[in-house]
Amino acid sequence: MAIAKAERLMNLALCLMNTRRPLSKKELRESVEAYREAWQQGSEDAFNRMFERDKDDLRELGLVIDVDENALDGEVGYLARRDRNRLPEIALDAEEAAALTLAARVWQQAKMSGAASGALQKLRAAGVPFAEDAEHSALEPRIPAREAAFEPLLTAARDRRPVSFEYRKAGAAAAEQRAVEPWALECWRGHWYLAGFDRDRQDARVFRLSRITGRVRSRAGEFTGTVPEHMDVRATVARFAGEGATTAATVRLRRGAAFPLRTKALGSRHVDEQWDELEIPYGHGLGADLAEFGPDVVVLGPDDLRADVIERLRAVAGLGE
Amino acid sequence: MSNAIDQTRRMLSLVTYLRERPGAEVAEVARAFGITERELIGDLNVLPMCGTSFRGGDLLDIDTDGERIWWHNVDDVAQPLRLAADEATALLVAARAVAGLPGLRERDRQALTRAVAKIEDAAGESAESSARVGVTFEAEGQVFADIDRALSEGRLIWLRYWSHGRGGMTEREVDPIRLVTEGHTYLEGWCRTSEDRRIFRLDRVAEIKVLDEPANPPRLQPRDLSAGLVNPGADDPEVVVEVGPGGRWVAEYYTHDSAEELPDGGLRITLRSADPSGLRPLALRLGRDGRIVSPPELAEQAAAAALAALDAYRDGQV
Repeated sequence: MAIAKAERLMNLALCLMNTRRPLSKKELRESVEAYREAWQQGSEDAFNRMFERDKDDLRELGLVIDVDENALDGEVGYLARRDRNRLPEIALDAEEAAALTLAARVWQQAKMSGAASGALQKLRAAGVPFAEDAEHSALEPRIPAREAAFEPLLTAARDRRPVSFEYRKAGAAAAEQRAVEPWALECWRGHWYLAGFDRDRQDARVFRLSRITGRVRSRAGEFTGTVPEHMDVRATVARFAGEGATTAATVRLRRGAAFPLRTKALGSRHVDEQWDELEIPYGHGLGADLAEFGPDVVVLGPDDLRADVIERLRAVAGLGE
Repeated sequence: MSNAIDQTRRMLSLVTYLRERPGAEVAEVARAFGITERELIGDLNVLPMCGTSFRGGDLLDIDTDGERIWWHNVDDVAQPLRLAADEATALLVAARAVAGLPGLRERDRQALTRAVAKIEDAAGESAESSARVGVTFEAEGQVFADIDRALSEGRLIWLRYWSHGRGGMTEREVDPIRLVTEGHTYLEGWCRTSEDRRIFRLDRVAEIKVLDEPANPPRLQPRDLSAGLVNPGADDPEVVVEVGPGGRWVAEYYTHDSAEELPDGGLRITLRSADPSGLRPLALRLGRDGRIVSPPELAEQAAAAALAALDAYRDGQV
């Protein structure tokens, strides 16, 4: 029976951590039973591939593996130096530990949730006083990441590696290929966005992850654009969602109706028994927001907003073009 | 495969943890690592197969009688390990996001802020890429704080709440169950007025009072939120919406059963709703970007509402 991967990784990690001199690939192959098996039953190639993958996996888990010349035979060897792999002293009080326990639970995405609990396990092993039975909290902040593009983009942004993907812009009939240097990911109102340098457009762009179709592919090479010191992805996205508007619209609302619009009002006045008049910020997408309320809202101005709402209502009423 | 990764990660911490605790209890260790005893026993079966055998077969001599765990040849290999970049990012991004949640108790916020600074220090360069990921939680701070207080004191809540589907204000008495934040913040509670479990969006709460009366929500299985906050029942009526390219967002915002590609770049979306007439705002919002295919009554309601709305724009009205 093939030896389980976790056992193989554990053996490799222990070998690399327990040595004071670099171990050659050959030495490791002879030390780790799974490698010996792969080499004997498979081929040199099969072993090499397995070994490279395992090294990458251990590095993902945080292990710093140095590649040095093996003093004995001058061959290249590997070791995980203790001083480079030790967690520095960290002292968290019970309150801080409890707060972190709550935070570690918020990820709903498998990889990040695994990483967060892995972090807590390392801290716990290092002596941080987490409560054994973390009480169930009635506060449940959750970070979902259902978009398939999330994980590859997270890794690419971390490693500063360019990517390409098919992207369907809002309202576009078809997707098109984009080549992007991913800078940062931002989750706002439960949706993920990517900010990066669009190579074809030679400019910064924001992408919504749910509009990425197909696979995110890694591209060779380095970033070509300058990564900005500070990226306000949220402000860009919020602007598109209609926030941060600099002009205002005037609308009439039936009394008692359209509460969500009232919470945004810049000013309001009583017109008569039936109607109130409100000034609201005129941001992107306001026409659709107003049409939702049907006969409870009448747009007074500006004219383009009024025309937009009338056109929307005519379409729903079946009055054609 | 990710299972093997998580297991390796856990076993590396496990050896460090066991080194300091000879005779540790299985139940306690499982709890500490957030795993079942069965999973822990699985790890304990793997560990004795691991060692630095190039030095001559020195395997970890760890064994258990099912109650306690003993490590007979404790090795100094088991030092606390540095955090990986993904581990630091997962923890820091989450902690910063929760610390920024409006309405969170000041004490908790300060504890989180202190913890973030300490983790950043301990993680060193592993913490760097955490700045490339950000999460914003939104909540109406005062409403959040009131509900949080009602939850901790076990008290009933009175709400004046905007029902978006019905397009009107409602008054309700609610036994609070939990506050869930996913982008926006929602109260899950037992609505005494409708005698059912309900989700309330905090930004639609017009007024809130924490009542003196104790809360007494019926004992309910916590709902599984993995597919989203709104989980229509299997028997709920079906709604079919056809949208053009400009209406594809519907599939992103509404939990649906299927979204079939249409030749024009649009979608035919099938979803379920306990009360389809509550989708009237959606029907009105779509404009020429889409239409309700069924139920026909919903399309008719929306068309009638649109006609009534257009009346106001006739010459001489406003």
